[in-house]
Parts: sequence; structure tokens; C-alpha cells
Amino acid sequence: MNMLKLLPFAIATAVASGHLLANEQQNNSRFALAGYGDVKYEDSELMDTSAFSARFVPIFLFSLSDQMHIEAETEISVDENGETEIELEYADIHYFLSDTTTFTAGKFLLPFGQYGPNLHPSWINRSAFSPGIYGGLGGHGGYQPMQGLLPVMSDIGVGIQHIIPLGKNQKIFFDVYMTNGLATEAPHDDEEDAHDEEPVQDEHEEVVVDEHAEEEDEHEEVDDHALELPELAFEATSADNNSDKAFGGRIAYAFLPGIEVGASYYTAKYDDDEKLGFTATGFDINWMGNHYIVRGEYIKTETDAFEEDEHEENKVITFDRNGWYLQATFMAGKMFNVLQGTDFVVEYAETNKINEAERWAYGINYWLDSRAVIKATYEDTTVHDGEDDKRFAIQYSYGF
Amino acid sequence: MRSIIQILLVASLSLLSAFSSYAAEKISGAEVINNNCARCHNARAVHEFSIPEWKVIMPHMREKAHLTGKETQAVLEFLELTSQRAPLAKKVASEKMIAPDGKQLFVQFGCQGCHSLKGDGGTVGPALDETIKNKGIGFFIKKLQNPQFNNSSSPMPKMPLNEQQIKAIAQYIKS
Repeated sequence: MNMLKLLPFAIATAVASGHLLANEQQNNSRFALAGYGDVKYEDSELMDTSAFSARFVPIFLFSLSDQMHIEAETEISVDENGETEIELEYADIHYFLSDTTTFTAGKFLLPFGQYGPNLHPSWINRSAFSPGIYGGLGGHGGYQPMQGLLPVMSDIGVGIQHIIPLGKNQKIFFDVYMTNGLATEAPHDDEEDAHDEEPVQDEHEEVVVDEHAEEEDEHEEVDDHALELPELAFEATSADNNSDKAFGGRIAYAFLPGIEVGASYYTAKYDDDEKLGFTATGFDINWMGNHYIVRGEYIKTETDAFEEDEHEENKVITFDRNGWYLQATFMAGKMFNVLQGTDFVVEYAETNKINEAERWAYGINYWLDSRAVIKATYEDTTVHDGEDDKRFAIQYSYGF
Repeated sequence: MRSIIQILLVASLSLLSAFSSYAAEKISGAEVINNNCARCHNARAVHEFSIPEWKVIMPHMREKAHLTGKETQAVLEFLELTSQRAPLAKKVASEKMIAPDGKQLFVQFGCQGCHSLKGDGGTVGPALDETIKNKGIGFFIKKLQNPQFNNSSSPMPKMPLNEQQIKAIAQYIKS
């Protein structure tokens, strides 16, 4: 047979195969890039500075199969010294065990409340600042005079998510996890210097007691103002300073599409000897209407520390803190045509018992499209035992 | 004690019954978007990503938004339906192209997932009952042909519908 006669057939077959392969690749991709970023101008009265900052937060997504999915988010930013910071926000694999159950392993955002796992990206958060109870602990909060109760928590471990749909408009969510947990924050250089001058040793070995406390050393109750709250390191590490693991979870009820309410719990031992614990309990609400969104969280924390008793022996005392925030957004553009794309935001936050503070924030947002927003926010913070602050920020955020 | 057990049993059976009926019924992808995505963020426009990209993104959102696998699949089907890249023949049956049935198109494109009509439907978009009466058929046609023409932040997808089909939907809404 003349091979030349087969050539057109071979070419046609090759072209058809190529088209089929190309179509297959077009219809099924393994990879997608999403994420968000922002540019911010911030002016602080207390810091007496104003500065521009920028972040780029890409999310890398891979589908290994229908059951397995990989996600990783990095936050790339420039710090105040000009160094480029790259932070791994999460990197985990989901295994979809069933229609309603998902197993997750790796570094993931802990499902505590709603701001941490879902609402903190700047194109989703309706304010240019983090809620007061989440700020001031590094990461997404950055500097603020109000010392938050928790950071946006991300840690390494495993977790299970289970959903119970109750008809098409109601659901119950369960999330439980086990992770490495937290540790004691390494003392800062300036703190070490300061400690040298004080008649006090390690902040976790012997709690700082002021004159007022010494006068009332027979008093049973802990005067939270007189003692120093242990500083904890929430940053995830691939090692653990003890054998204890952090446990936690969240249970939530959603009446869709309007309301989601949840309760969260987190507990871990943070010292090397596993004697000192940290526990956080939270309640959250996300309430959406046609023209408004109301989001809020209440958080209570209990942090153990050692205090030396009259026999110079350490006893464990517990510091209680609590705080809450409520953020209301009025989507004026949905009610008045002339205000298309405009939101008005008001937020109140307070922290109680230790490092007490209150904060009001007022904002106006303009949506350029459904994923790009310019936010202008002014906030006024009153700190009971510290300096107050007034800050103003304009942030241009985008999801992609 | 017995009465508590009875109450728990009845409550469990009710929940099971509700779950079973939901699992069996056809899930509307548009309704899933209305009920879940907008809880955290504005619904994203369909054309932002290709369908192969959405297939990788949706498992990520499944975990974030606590979606079931069936709901995730329903959203993907809705995105495919409304995607401008897919061939028109796949979206609307040919016989419906000749004689468009407004009600059938209204259901097929999941309009009620995001908009309410006669008190029933989603809340992401405005109620449709008075739209044509207040703004005119011209506005309605233009909105479906270019959803962002009057509001750049509108997440409404551009549906692959011709003018005849849009008018059929308008007729159904007015009826």
C-alpha cells in the first residue's frame, strides 16, 4: 500500500486527536490563581506619621482529583524597614470524604468566629481596619493602640468539617481541629533590657506585681491591672514546644441567606511544662438583609500564668479578658440609585478587664465593581491606661 | 425523661425528613450563590474566570462556605449555563429558541435564585415584581443584555439570551 495515500488520514487523525486533547485540557484545568491585594494610606495621630503600604495576597489552587484539592495563600508585603515579607497564610489539602464531610490537613485558618477564617481579606472586610478585638497582634491587624484578644489564627494540623443541611435554607456547620498550638512569645530586646532593671525575673516564672498589689497581697482575687498578661506567640511553627496539642472547633447555625450564628472554642497549653493554658471562647453573628449587613463577635480569653505565693512557690492564676465588636454596613446604593456602589459603615469595639479600650470607626466605601472597593475609614480609640489615638485610612482593595 | 426522649426523637425525624427531601430535590445553582456566597462577599461575575478555572476554584469555596458537594456541582452547572464562552445550543434547547417560554427560561436561568417574584426568591438582587412597571421594558432588556450598564458593581451575570427570549421573560414577570 502506498504510504502516501495514508498520509492525509494520519494527519487528520493527528489533528483530531490534538483537538480532543486541547478540548479536554480546556474543559478541565488543574490550576487556578485567585487572591486579593490592597494599597493603603494611613494617618495616625498617636504615631504622628502617615504612610502608604501595599500587599499582594495570591491564592494558588490545584485540583488533584474530584476528592482532593490543594490551596495555598501567601501574603507578600513590605515592612517598615523596606524588607519584603512573605508569609504563608495557609497551605493545606482538602479531602472530600463525602458530600457533606471534608478532611483538611496542613496549615489552615482556624475556624474561630467568622472574621478570621472568612471575613478578614481586605476586599471582604467592610472597614479599612481590622475589628478592634482582632487587631494589634501582628498579621492582619498590624499596629493599633487597642490590644486585641486574638489574631487571625492559622496553624498546622488536621481538621474535619461536617455540614448538616436542613432543607435548602438551613444548615448546621461543625468544624473541629487539632493543631500544634501556641507558645510563649520570645522576649523582645527592649523588654530584656527593661527586665534587667526590674526586680522581676521571667514574666511567666514570676508575674510582675506593682506597689498597689504588694499592699494587698492577702487579697484572694487577682487584680488584673496589677499583673502583666503573658505574651503569647500565635504564629504557626513546624515544631512544638511541648507535647500538648491545641484543640478547638466551631458549631454554627445558618438560616440562609440572612443569618449565621456560631460558637467557637479553642484551648491549648502554651508553656514547655504544659502547666499553663490558654482558652478562648467566642460567639459570632453575620446578619444580612437587602440593604444592610451586621457582623459581630464576642470573645472571652483565659490565660494562665504563674504567681509566687507567700512560700515562694508558684501557683497558677488566670487572667480573664473579653471584648466584642459590632460592625453595621448600610448598602445605600441598593436603596438609592444616585448612591450606586456606596456603603456607609459604623463599627464599635471594646476590650475589657485588661488593656481596656473602646473604639468607634466610621467609614464610607465605594465599589468600582463587585470585587474592587475604595474604603475611607476614620477611627477614634480611647485607651483606659494608655494613650488614645485617632486614625484615618484610605484603602483600595481588590479581589482577583 | 420519656417526654424528653420523645421530643428528641420527633425533632430528629423532622430534621432527617427535611434533609432527605432536600437531598432528593434539584438544587438551583443560582439559589446556592444567593444563599451562600453573598454571606461573606459580593457575588463575583461569571466572566472573571473561565469554566475550567471555576472548576478549580469551587472546591476551595466549598470548604470556605460550607457547601455540600451537590451544591458545589449545582453552582458549576449554573456558571456553565450563564458562561458566555459556552455554545448557545448547550444553554437553551433549540425548540425553546423558536417559541420562547418566559416561565421556562425564568426557571432555567435561575432568576429566582437571586431575585424575588411574588414574595418568593432570593435577596441578592432587587425584587422583580415592579421592575418593568417602574422602569420600562427598555430598561429590562438593556439590563439583561448588559447587567453592569447602570451599576458597575452589579454581580449579575450576562445571560445568553436574545431579545425575543428576554421579552418572553418580561411577559412572564408581568403576568
